[in-house]
Amino acid sequence: MIRIAAVGDVHIDRDVLGRFRPALEELPDRADVLLLAGDLTRHGTEEEAKCVATEFGGLGVPVIAVLGNHDHHCDEVPGVLAALTDAGITVLEGDSTVLDIDGTRLGVAGVKGFGGGFAGRCASEFGEPEMKAFVRTTGTVAEQLGAALRDLDCDVRVALTHYAPVPDTLAGEPLEIYPFLGSYLLGQAIDSAPTDLAVHGHAHHGTERGRTPGGVRVRNVAHPVIKQAYSVFNLAREHVSPSAASGI
Amino acid sequence: MNDYTEAEVQRAMAEDLDIAEQGITVVRSDVGLVLRGEVESPHRRDEIVRMVHGRFPGIEIAADIGVTRAAAPTEAEELA
Repeated sequence: MIRIAAVGDVHIDRDVLGRFRPALEELPDRADVLLLAGDLTRHGTEEEAKCVATEFGGLGVPVIAVLGNHDHHCDEVPGVLAALTDAGITVLEGDSTVLDIDGTRLGVAGVKGFGGGFAGRCASEFGEPEMKAFVRTTGTVAEQLGAALRDLDCDVRVALTHYAPVPDTLAGEPLEIYPFLGSYLLGQAIDSAPTDLAVHGHAHHGTERGRTPGGVRVRNVAHPVIKQAYSVFNLAREHVSPSAASGI
Repeated sequence: MNDYTEAEVQRAMAEDLDIAEQGITVVRSDVGLVLRGEVESPHRRDEIVRMVHGRFPGIEIAADIGVTRAAAPTEAEELA
């Protein structure tokens, strides 16, 4: 069994330092890895990222993250990334990493993602350059996520995004803002590989559970949704993807 | 109090760098506005109320903003 802890949207700044740490100190007894689903900082400054590093660094379990829209706001992404990686946090953006956990290979592919909406109400690459660029951005990152997932050589495959891949986990959010909360293209990317679990954040008023059209379990781990320091998902060994289990 | 003011309050909470909150819902009441949602610290709740009072004087503001709990989970979800 692989135990995956996850949380997103912690929006750390100096005023939050220490709030998560007592629960995080218990992580090695509860989980094998911690996934951070973006919006780690309040508005994306290097100083805030150093606070994230203080709060989430040196935990005794590997920490894998994607950035969120807040982490981009102040245009200090290189500094944010440096602060996180210096603390040993692996940050994914269109790529993946594999961990060996007691002989089981956990593969995590991650991307921030972007908006665009969902089937029946999605944006199209049509019209003004700005609109086309918006949709094209999501298409590009979704392709990166799909390729990263498909290329993984592992036993358990997890997709980590900030934006939502399905509308299920947005229930509770105003319908008007769904196109700014995620895109079906991310779900399609997740379904293009034998993915075992998809984890995202971003939707503070959404709900925890959903599924892609292909049947992949999706969990919204935004902190205001889970209302705890992190959630833990136990993935049973028999749940590993068929291709990995058969050695194909 | 009208649609435009409501939109301005919503944008101010996101775009003011001392606030940067997109998760607070603005609800119009008979007497003014109710700000509803959760933030990561009591300090942020106070900052939001102070900013909205300062930028929109004359509007009655009621805050129903909680601080998100950050305790360890009591159980794991089994995904068999």
